[in-house]
Amino acid sequence: MNDTSTETDTLEQLLVRTGMRDRAAFARLYQQTAPRLFGLCVRLLQERSEAEDVLQEAFVSVWRRANHYNPSLGGANTWLTAVVRNRAIDRLRQRRETTNVDPLEFERVPDASGGPAAHAMASADYLRLERCLEQLDSKYSRAVRAAFFTGATYKELAERGQVPLATLKSWIRRALLQLRTCLET
Amino acid sequence: MNTPADDDPGDLRYAEYVLGVLDADARAAVEREVTADPHAAAAEAHWRRRLLPLAEEIGPETPPPQLWARIRAALEFDAPADTRGGWWENLRLWHWLTFGSGALLAAACAALVVLATHRPPTPPIPYMAATIMQTDGQVGWTATMDIGKARMIVVPAAPQPVRAGRTPELWLIPPGARPIAVGLISTRAPMTLALSASLVARLGPTARLAVSIEPRGGSPTGQPTGAVVATGAIGAAPASALRLVRPPQRSA
Repeated sequence: MNDTSTETDTLEQLLVRTGMRDRAAFARLYQQTAPRLFGLCVRLLQERSEAEDVLQEAFVSVWRRANHYNPSLGGANTWLTAVVRNRAIDRLRQRRETTNVDPLEFERVPDASGGPAAHAMASADYLRLERCLEQLDSKYSRAVRAAFFTGATYKELAERGQVPLATLKSWIRRALLQLRTCLET
Repeated sequence: MNTPADDDPGDLRYAEYVLGVLDADARAAVEREVTADPHAAAAEAHWRRRLLPLAEEIGPETPPPQLWARIRAALEFDAPADTRGGWWENLRLWHWLTFGSGALLAAACAALVVLATHRPPTPPIPYMAATIMQTDGQVGWTATMDIGKARMIVVPAAPQPVRAGRTPELWLIPPGARPIAVGLISTRAPMTLALSASLVARLGPTARLAVSIEPRGGSPTGQPTGAVVATGAIGAAPASALRLVRPPQRSA
């Protein structure tokens, strides 16, 4: 395989070349994104060895499915995040029956302050989303953040937040609709 | 209240999928839809762009150094560079298709020879077709590929029923290479599958299509995991197949 990748390649170029079976591009893609994606796995799964398994499966899937990456539908970062996050959530669903319900978890969802995104790393997309989240009713945005950072189902979130399922669903659905409107303007 | 989604209630499902609040069954249903329908894929991708930046709040963690080696091993990167190794050897199921149906093979070879000798180097064939035969000798599906529009229409003929919780998945197998997922198909309804540019580039008279039976939502590994139930060679499309991709003009 041609080793034509250079330090200056964008993630999009690396991912497209991975789709063309360029192993050097795939290795560089891994180097550049694995720590961030591993952080995501650890956060969702709360268990390092399982997070390692999921990251491995996800990168195997990236190699095999990179030829389906369509740059016109979004950046490589977003595509990779979706692949990894979907794997992690699928894993959470598989172990659902053994998950302990922790009623405090809903309240312990971190807010943005102090996260890496509070610093210079944050993208313009992130800053826009954060601004829109701040405009939501605080219980809506807390529910969205709890969902995002735990990968829990509606039902699990309702149990953890000690809120009726229908209420929790309506909070999140309203939040999503309001976010959509806010992000479009 | 501001509810712009009233005109588009389905859009919220993609948001719920991306956020991750759906249970396993509902997730699988959305995945099927996104695989089969380019509009659904675009809607889901739009929600990814909206919501996934939130992941920037999560700090990086250094994965253990051996993880890259595990990924290389899983992909057999360090195996001898024989393209027929590994996965192919495990697939004795595929055997019948090369040796089991002589007449079909002869026909496919004849088509191949005709294509190889008479096809001008340019322009590329605008339409291609494949008859996807099952192990029972019946035609399972026909596939017609519209290269210009980068899509494939897969029409069920007489596919064997698939048991609950399973779904047929279509694969493209370029010569000497691993299968590439094309999309989930149905035993009942015609499906239109969008083809990525790299997939279109690998369509041709030396590639094959195959159908395997996978868990709901498609193969979890990106390679066929279930029984291969049907396969077919790709050739130039017969005129009868083109009706599918070029519907007659209708007056408005």
